[in-house]
Amino acid sequence: MAKQEYIPQVPYGTKDILPQDAARKRRVENELARLFLAWGYQEVVTPTFEYHETLKAGAPEESDDSSFRFFDRNGRMLALRPDMTTPIARVAVMRMKDDPLPFRLFYLANVFRQEESQAGRQCEFYQAGVELLGAGGIAADAEVVALAVEALMAAGLTEFQVCLGQVDFIGGIMTEAGLDAQTGQAVKRLLLERNLVGLAELLDECRIDDDIKQLLQQLPMLHGKLELLQQVRERVKNPISQAAIDNLADIYGLLQSYGIDRYVTFDLGIIRDFEYYTGMVFEAYTSGLGYPICGGGRYDRMAGSFGREQPATGFALGIERVLMALERQGLAVESVPQNIYVGWAPGKLTAAIAEVRRLRAKGTQSELALQAQSRLEAETECKRRNCKELLYLD
Amino acid sequence: MTSPDKDMLTIALPKGKLFQPSADLLARFGYTAEGLSENSRKLVIANEAKKIQFVITKPMDLPTYVEYGAADIGIIGKDVLLEEARNVYELLDLNFGLCRLMLAVPAALKREKLSDYAHMRVATKFPRVAEQFFLDHGIQMEIIKLNGSIELAPMVGLAEMIVDIVETGRTLKENNLIEIAHLHRATARFIANRVSFKMKFDRIQPMVEEMRKLLSEGAIG
Repeated sequence: MAKQEYIPQVPYGTKDILPQDAARKRRVENELARLFLAWGYQEVVTPTFEYHETLKAGAPEESDDSSFRFFDRNGRMLALRPDMTTPIARVAVMRMKDDPLPFRLFYLANVFRQEESQAGRQCEFYQAGVELLGAGGIAADAEVVALAVEALMAAGLTEFQVCLGQVDFIGGIMTEAGLDAQTGQAVKRLLLERNLVGLAELLDECRIDDDIKQLLQQLPMLHGKLELLQQVRERVKNPISQAAIDNLADIYGLLQSYGIDRYVTFDLGIIRDFEYYTGMVFEAYTSGLGYPICGGGRYDRMAGSFGREQPATGFALGIERVLMALERQGLAVESVPQNIYVGWAPGKLTAAIAEVRRLRAKGTQSELALQAQSRLEAETECKRRNCKELLYLD
Repeated sequence: MTSPDKDMLTIALPKGKLFQPSADLLARFGYTAEGLSENSRKLVIANEAKKIQFVITKPMDLPTYVEYGAADIGIIGKDVLLEEARNVYELLDLNFGLCRLMLAVPAALKREKLSDYAHMRVATKFPRVAEQFFLDHGIQMEIIKLNGSIELAPMVGLAEMIVDIVETGRTLKENNLIEIAHLHRATARFIANRVSFKMKFDRIQPMVEEMRKLLSEGAIG
């Protein structure tokens, strides 16, 4: 009986990145690394897996645990990192506690989430991001937003929109509304689910002030430029929401100084994790992709779970999503043949090796033939291998 | 994927009973296209002048088109939204296409309490909604996913019960089925992709307002 041929598969949610795509990815990552360095950020590399309890400590309490988990030989639970923010907060508290604050750190890393694949996000996907740790205040927030905009430009995108929101704005309104804890949670859940119909139904049952009810219902529509902030500022009465709006206006002022304000829109209905973020939040969108390409904000509470309170702000952008957007917008850089094919006649291998050494020393990409060829054979092979030109030694 | 033309607004409409009222509603404020019909052979029907295009999908697939941004907005029943649980904006209850998701059994099998039905087999097009309902009631059931003609299942012994949508209840009667629990009320909803809603806010938001106005005048449904 013939042996059944083994047909290899890759696990759900993973993929191979073949040379042409890998080259595009590398190009974008190089540009991003160069940019982050220019802004004074330093790269950190953390373990691909950590103790599950470490990752859990940094994650919002209610979040679904979508991490890939397994056990070490002592029976302790490990998990592949689902994002880089928690490991970096851990590193900052554990390893860098005597270094002067603030820390400016960046990463280019693969992260892992066990969930249904989305556009540009498989179970394993790549992120680039920065964390600015140990600095509160609008200068830090503005720096992170401005760097996100510069990062999207450095990646090659030309048209995108960054929406800026503030979790305290919603928090203030919820407090002012005086909803009991259970209803408050339900409101937040409906906002997270973007279920405005359910939200309206729930609010209709609550006995709260009409103005506040309207504001809550209209949250997702509070989208616009600076005038929007002024309009909303007049409508809210509680000091927390007012301070949140003033905070956004102040950040915007600095974004004008950075010269990137035209990319920025306010969106007080931006809904990101309520338990995790503590101030300004933002998301970036581009056409051709139904999901955000970049997101971030201020998360001052997280380091506290590792024993040291410290303000923090940062963002992550999805490398595959950026690549997908570039492709769909016709902005992907076509890879052009670069290699010189060095062929050689019988007995000329030594000379050919000398030649490729000379080319490579100049930084010219070159491929050496691995067996003797006639000139005609070498020409054919050069074309077949999609090389830029032939150098033949005879 | 939103359309490569970033000015184009892509609208998804579901095949079936919601198609015509949805198309009629959109047409009332000028959102229509030549040849827009449920049985159109063209898969994408564009109105270049208005910068809109329509795609007509199977109802269960519609939220996926919108979540991925292949369509910017769409109209779909709440029953499908509950089952698909996609990450989209549910912007408005359009108040038409009213139906309800319910649990029914053949008259001969009727019992006193819901818990008396534990461990029976339930045939449904809505396994997620059914699962959640039984979970909420602490009952374990065996759920069998079917794609249509659910009422056939108890007749041939594939399942004892069904979770399905009904409008008038006529099909239930004809098949000698009795409704024993109400799961959800469902009407048509206006939904949007989360990025499109922000990037195309200036086009989508006025549509929401216009529909809201029509609704408050009682002019829809």
